[in-house]
Amino acid sequence: MSASSDESFVLEVLAALEQTKLEALVVGSVAAVLQGSPVTTQDLDLLVRDTPSNRQKIGQLGHCLGARPREVSSLTNVLRIDAASAPVDLLFDRLPGGLSFESLRSRSIVIDLGGRIARVASLEDVILSKEAAGRPKDHAQLPILRDTLRVKKALAKP
Amino acid sequence: MAQKVSAQPETNPHATVDALTAAKLRLQSLLPDMDPGDLDLILTSLQRPFGSGRRFFLREVRPGVRVF
Repeated sequence: MSASSDESFVLEVLAALEQTKLEALVVGSVAAVLQGSPVTTQDLDLLVRDTPSNRQKIGQLGHCLGARPREVSSLTNVLRIDAASAPVDLLFDRLPGGLSFESLRSRSIVIDLGGRIARVASLEDVILSKEAAGRPKDHAQLPILRDTLRVKKALAKP
Repeated sequence: MAQKVSAQPETNPHATVDALTAAKLRLQSLLPDMDPGDLDLILTSLQRPFGSGRRFFLREVRPGVRVF
């Protein structure tokens, strides 16, 4: 059994987060993937607690991942690091649905990925944020994410 | 309080198959409205440990064409 380049890339991002000590949660579809959802995505989303200290660390994160953070658009405050394997999008403090960093963190899940620790938004919160975002690509994923959550809850029943 | 879970690989493949079969039968009765194909897909995905070679990033090689 060997890791795919996608899995290796997630580990690379986690290592960079650990190295830079950036306060961030894995959110979006990769958070869902790490909780067993059968979905695909085009990028890895991180929700960053917006503090001056964390803003400083974003440059270091880009250095670790081999690209300088850049603005995606003047319409949002999202920053993107165009890493070799996939873009890493940095969102700040809040996700659609009124989900704050602190509330997401309090419900987050810590997953041990063979020595690398991932702190990820709960599947319930991923679903809430996608419902609120309302984009077609989010809505397209919702049925399978909801079913995954139902299966996980059913499996947890004695 | 954040929950902690492990994504370590399952070590006994026979136990995995047995557990998967039992889980599927139980879940089909608990979730009768769920499409059996979707249930299969979800259970297989849930059983697949991180590091087993799963691909999940789509890359756009040219406009409108995406590949793993």
